[in-house]
Amino acid sequence: MIAKIICFALHGLDGVPVEVETDVSKGIPCYEMVGLPDTAVKESKERVRTAIKNGGMLFPVQKITINFAPADIKKEGAAFDLAIAVSLLKASEQLVGADVKDIVFLGELALNGDLRPVNGLLPILISAKGQGYTKFIVPAENAKEARFMGGAEIYPARSLAEVVRHLMGIEAIEPLQTAEFAVTRGQRQSSSDLKFVKGQPVARRALEIAVSGGHNLLMVGPPGTGKTLLARCIPTVMPDLTFEEALEITKIHSVAGTLGEEGIITERPFRTPHHTATTVSMCGGGNRVVHPGEISLAHGGVLFLDELPEYKRSTLEALRQPLEDGKITVSRAGGTFTYPSSFMLCASMNPCPCGNYGSANLTCTCTPSEIRRYRKKVSGPLLDRIDLQVEVDNITYDELTSSATEEGSAAVKERVDRARAVQRERFAGQSIVVNSEMGEREMNAYCALSAEGDNILRGAFEKMHLSARARSRIIKVARTIADLDGSQYILPKHVFEAVSYRIYDKMS
Amino acid sequence: MDYSEEERAIIWLCGCTALEYRERVALLRAAKDPRSLLADFEKIFPSVIKTFSSRVYMNERAQREREADRLLKSLDDRGRIAITLMTAEYPKELKAIPDPPLVLFAEGNAELLKMRKFCIVGSRMTPPWAEKQCKTVSAELSQKFAVVTGLAEGGDRAAVEGALPSGNLITVLPCGLDECYPAAHADIKNKIANTGLLISEYAPKEKTKKYSFYARNRILAGLSEGVLVVSAGIKSGTLITANRALDYGRDVFAFPYNLGVAQGEGCNELIKKGAFLTSGAGDIFGNFGIACEERPQAELDGEESRLLAILKECGEEHLAVIADRAGMQIFEAAATLSALELKGLAVKSGGNRYSAT
Repeated sequence: MIAKIICFALHGLDGVPVEVETDVSKGIPCYEMVGLPDTAVKESKERVRTAIKNGGMLFPVQKITINFAPADIKKEGAAFDLAIAVSLLKASEQLVGADVKDIVFLGELALNGDLRPVNGLLPILISAKGQGYTKFIVPAENAKEARFMGGAEIYPARSLAEVVRHLMGIEAIEPLQTAEFAVTRGQRQSSSDLKFVKGQPVARRALEIAVSGGHNLLMVGPPGTGKTLLARCIPTVMPDLTFEEALEITKIHSVAGTLGEEGIITERPFRTPHHTATTVSMCGGGNRVVHPGEISLAHGGVLFLDELPEYKRSTLEALRQPLEDGKITVSRAGGTFTYPSSFMLCASMNPCPCGNYGSANLTCTCTPSEIRRYRKKVSGPLLDRIDLQVEVDNITYDELTSSATEEGSAAVKERVDRARAVQRERFAGQSIVVNSEMGEREMNAYCALSAEGDNILRGAFEKMHLSARARSRIIKVARTIADLDGSQYILPKHVFEAVSYRIYDKMS
Repeated sequence: MDYSEEERAIIWLCGCTALEYRERVALLRAAKDPRSLLADFEKIFPSVIKTFSSRVYMNERAQREREADRLLKSLDDRGRIAITLMTAEYPKELKAIPDPPLVLFAEGNAELLKMRKFCIVGSRMTPPWAEKQCKTVSAELSQKFAVVTGLAEGGDRAAVEGALPSGNLITVLPCGLDECYPAAHADIKNKIANTGLLISEYAPKEKTKKYSFYARNRILAGLSEGVLVVSAGIKSGTLITANRALDYGRDVFAFPYNLGVAQGEGCNELIKKGAFLTSGAGDIFGNFGIACEERPQAELDGEESRLLAILKECGEEHLAVIADRAGMQIFEAAATLSALELKGLAVKSGGNRYSAT
């Protein structure tokens, strides 16, 4: 007899339906798998056999053929275990009367028949629902992640035996209750707050502008002045995640297997890859199936590159295209995968090799050529894409120990939210959310400069040898500053302030 | 260009890179008539240089003639000229120093050598405000003088940038005209060759040596009527130029510095010894009795002139302090300061600190 069970394979962030067909017939006992399964899938043979046996069912001693259709996609991972086991039981007529049609089975089996969680469950559920599937049996440990999917019957099962009892109608599993999405203030938010950052008025302001308009930020300053501390505060002033954003971010983290206890991402990601990171770990990659890299894991949040010049040049250059497009497309033998990677880049570096350039009380011992060589490690095109470049001050001991309270994240977040609201209204009905995403068309519509403002920019353009991209980025920053200011028009002072954040263009 | 036989011999002598300056001078003295250098080098050489060095390759006359022709042809091909001590165009100020270069290889507008010349030098670690100021002074001086300077980073580079637009710029290289030190300045070197003048006492292919900076500095000082030191540490090479200028009886000018600023200790030391304290081109023009026009004032609005006044009052200061004194928000002050910066009236010195120029 032949049994057909639906399962899903993951292709990037999309689920692809895979039919597990099992035939059990008379003949010399054997156990064959066809249809392009990878090693982990082939190994499921043994897991399925023991799980069935230990679950108190019979493993048929007959000629068994299992086929995965369509045969042209490479099947990877252990998520097929449950589907294989159920189809085997069905084909060997141990599930008589059970209706398995239109149910999607997902889960990895342990030898004793327990179900183990799988990666990428949420993206699979979302695409399966989109394709008309509404009944799912998933591992109980994935329940937290699955409960955010409304409009589907999702049954969390603990073991194969439970699944069988459920299917036979002996003991039904309670379907999951859809959970309400609520933003919770997590651990990180309470440990980082702008009120703990001493001084740094200039960097604070730049940070506020950067978050308001989704601009990239570079902090230049002597070692140990609070660059990292400032960067860690960025998520605390960013707007709360909406459910759609949270789902999209969760999908990526689900595929990467970095989803925490919560089951859904409720905070904006803050990723800090070490400077030894490779291009593949940054952009995503893998042998056949491409796993999302750091820039995709930072989607919707912050990618913080500490000590920017220490990163490998090629790794940094690879960021250029995703920074412009907000997504990355990686091609491998197994296919072409596109992951969203719309993140805010925040980087920090020292001003020179000794770190004291521009310091009021310490002498810099570097020659201009040493400084130039150090800065050259970060390429011009990359710097061009960083709209706000700001110097972080050396703090004096008095400032450090002063008890004066600084403005906290909550107050800043309020202003950011206001500026974002202005942008939401402006871009209503378009795919754009923040100023930094504007293209030429939007800039013409929303960023009209007065004659005076244009003159200022012309002067800056010639004096600072700006590129065309730098010019449009200055205008976008000026737009954000005007939004923060509550001004409908971009005024000369906004342009001047935007220009003041391009310190690197002024230096060279 | 046509050279006399004597000139040709001297240029050939300077093309012998294995010889040092004092050896060349000694050979020239012993030869009495420079022409005999080419004719009878084998005879003159051992009589002058006792420690016979294997570096010097003794060849016959025909070979020497060929070498001289090749060198002159390579100069002509690149539009370069060689000005020897015997040439009428040789700058007379330079001839007056005790150890004038035998030949000046020149590329560019050699007419500049006939102008009044003024030298600007600065160390590589010139602070940003001094660079800006140096550029301004250089631009103004270049209206009346040919500005003489080196090609190093920092102060020299600022002087070059100031004078380059007017074309009245003479840059003295510590290496041959084909070479460029530092290599990163190759583009600016080409610009100087096109609009100003490059000179060197070394044959085109000669590389920079340790002592060639020292030797070059005597040309800087020797060519000029005065020397402005924009920055110099207490042991800076820039001070060599200043000291040479004093030896040659030239006027020395220097920017004043705050106490304790390492990049300016040499300048303050010079002022202590009697150099002219200089805050702008007017001080230099005044010393030479040249009337100078007032700098056209940039148009400033109320905020800008108020901040500029504060900047002038407090010297180099942090943005937060400036904003506090002006009673403005920090980001407002940053915007206004960046306006001043674009108008060339303020300069950012790193670490969010600003100063007026």
